Amino acid sequence: MRQIAIYGKGGIGKSTTTQNTVAGLASLGKKVMIVGCDPKADSTRLILHAKAQATVMDMVRELGTVEDLELDDVLKVGYGDVKCVESGGPEPGVGCAGRGVITAINFLEENGAYTPDLDFVFYDVLGDVVCGGFAMPIRENKAEEIYIVCSGEMMAMYAANNIAKGILKYATSGKVRLGGLICNSRNTDKESNLIEALAAKLGTQMIHFVPRDNQVQRAELRRMTVIEYSPEHKQAQEYRDLAKKISENKMLVVPSPLTMDELEELLMEFGIMEAEDEEIVGVAEAASK
Amino acid sequence: MAGVIEQIRNVCALGALQSVVAIERAIPIIHAGPGCGQKLWSGLSNGNGFQGAGYVGGHSVPCTNATEQEVVFGGEEKLRETVANTLKVMDGDLFVILTGCTSDIVGDDVGEVARSFRSSGAPVVYVETGGFKGDNYFGHELLWDALIDQFLEPAGKAEPGLVNLFSVLPYQDPYWTGTLHTIAGLLRSIGLIPNVIYGPGEGVASLRKVPKAQFNLLLSPWVGLKTVQRLEEKFGTPYLHYPTLPIGATETGKFLRAVGVQAGIPSETVEEAIRREEARYYYYVERSADLLFETRFLPGHFVTVADSFYALGLTKFLINDLGLIPEVQFVTEAVPEQYRPLIDAEFARFDEGLVSPVHYGADGGTVRDELARRTFRERPLILGSSWDRVTARKLNGYPLSVAMPVSDRLVLSRTYAGYEGALRLTEDIYSVILSSFQ
Repeated sequence: MRQIAIYGKGGIGKSTTTQNTVAGLASLGKKVMIVGCDPKADSTRLILHAKAQATVMDMVRELGTVEDLELDDVLKVGYGDVKCVESGGPEPGVGCAGRGVITAINFLEENGAYTPDLDFVFYDVLGDVVCGGFAMPIRENKAEEIYIVCSGEMMAMYAANNIAKGILKYATSGKVRLGGLICNSRNTDKESNLIEALAAKLGTQMIHFVPRDNQVQRAELRRMTVIEYSPEHKQAQEYRDLAKKISENKMLVVPSPLTMDELEELLMEFGIMEAEDEEIVGVAEAASK
Repeated sequence: MAGVIEQIRNVCALGALQSVVAIERAIPIIHAGPGCGQKLWSGLSNGNGFQGAGYVGGHSVPCTNATEQEVVFGGEEKLRETVANTLKVMDGDLFVILTGCTSDIVGDDVGEVARSFRSSGAPVVYVETGGFKGDNYFGHELLWDALIDQFLEPAGKAEPGLVNLFSVLPYQDPYWTGTLHTIAGLLRSIGLIPNVIYGPGEGVASLRKVPKAQFNLLLSPWVGLKTVQRLEEKFGTPYLHYPTLPIGATETGKFLRAVGVQAGIPSETVEEAIRREEARYYYYVERSADLLFETRFLPGHFVTVADSFYALGLTKFLINDLGLIPEVQFVTEAVPEQYRPLIDAEFARFDEGLVSPVHYGADGGTVRDELARRTFRERPLILGSSWDRVTARKLNGYPLSVAMPVSDRLVLSRTYAGYEGALRLTEDIYSVILSSFQ
């Protein structure tokens, strides 16, 4: 059983990418479980065709404790026989979501959710890894591979690099490794080359470039993955390709995060920032002409 | 459902640190805020029979004193430093990292810290006992999960006659040393080899022996059931679950017979041991007959306010042996729902078909209000904690402190378990009553 964690900037497309990739793996005959690690609990919508499933922490809120909870109350099966569970958590602005993730994952472990028939477990982790709780999926005996979803936008790359720092800590003392960057295209300038270069600097690979295609949104509106909604569409094939690449990936590294200077240098190299960068900083377009 | 708990009778899950202190030369290292350790020790030990600090208990317990720094930036580095320094200055056979609330909320990977020390040969284990998870009964079970997962090694062939004793919680029960010692003596009297684990003369060597036992004796209504089940799963050790703490001849006889059957001991051996004990015991019981039968104005009804160990054990003795009548019983620890039917069934099995109403709940205010509501036929006998002395005074009753907190007594080796213990209990009860006659 391979346990894989998906990280990346908030809103970059982790949940969408994860569910579509998992659908791809299911179509290859693999047995998969998705564990949503986000209080928004939106990691399994497309597999279950449901608005939201009962999360572990929802049930804990009702029962007061995790002691009386049964696995069946929270583990649902969806498209492609993919098992789905959401840790859930507090409403925005209150409580501690990180602790929610810790409690939920402990509960799953103690209640035998990780059955030997599973080929893959995917942890879909919320964007900003702001506390120890969100690193729970990459602690010892859990995920050993991480894929970071990013785009050619500077902030997404910055976030990916930041996440790599967190991974470095756990990779140094444990077995978890970075498997690659997944570029979820935003159609920025020279995006593919840029992400390939970023990956190389981090010591890893851009494992796949997923083109932007509104077919994904059309499927999402119907609460489906593209693979289920329109299996013949070329975007469905992209996700099947990504699934195959992850399945066969052997490049697992301890990442080497960049400094801010190195990151800006990279952007300059790709002509996104001009050479005389110090002069253009803070100057509006009209004024610079 | 949120409520109010007045007059607390236990502490939070981090209180399991005292179970570590109870194992000779085992050292707890707490990764918690400044003050947690001190409060827990005060509650479980200092304010509960004045049981003392122990080897490295009390104010000597190493602690990371986690402050805002550790909350915001994570506490693993501080913990690493604290463990490393503890290993340098404290001489112990086992080091147990226990976490408090702050570290469990913030998500410190304490397991990784423990593993890194273990990989360089130090006997360090960890358990996540953030106080918000539950009470110290729960924490105690978590500690045992950790010891089973991280410390105990498979033993090969079981040693015939070796019995592990899982019973009252050290420190939570201020009479734990005497009680465990007495139960051990009873087991020896029928030819068994008890492994007590806690208390003087035992230590980490005893802990290591746990997987070697012929069987585990769970002498407890429910605390420890998970532990013995896990020990059976992991090491194949069968267990006997005997829910009632034996106080007095009736229950102790039953207890010895049940253990004898489990252990495969010839019944003549068991009966002989019982005969010997009873001969001595009933000599004293007979002596007390003049007082018990000839004195007017002795209370016929009793109330117990204690955890399930004592609520059950005391009630059975007072009814089946002393012939008193149960008024109402209060079980004060957070008994998980699934174990209540088991305990209720035990409360329904008294002589003469007597039944007692039982209330579950930690709130001392409820106890006080419930007792105030009742009309007692005579001055009530109230066996509870020092909190209940106030209620007893108000009701003009007879108080005896038997449950945490026992802050009005010094407890050394006293126990109420077994034959001798029952005599002690009888002395204590009637001394309280008699002293009010003066």
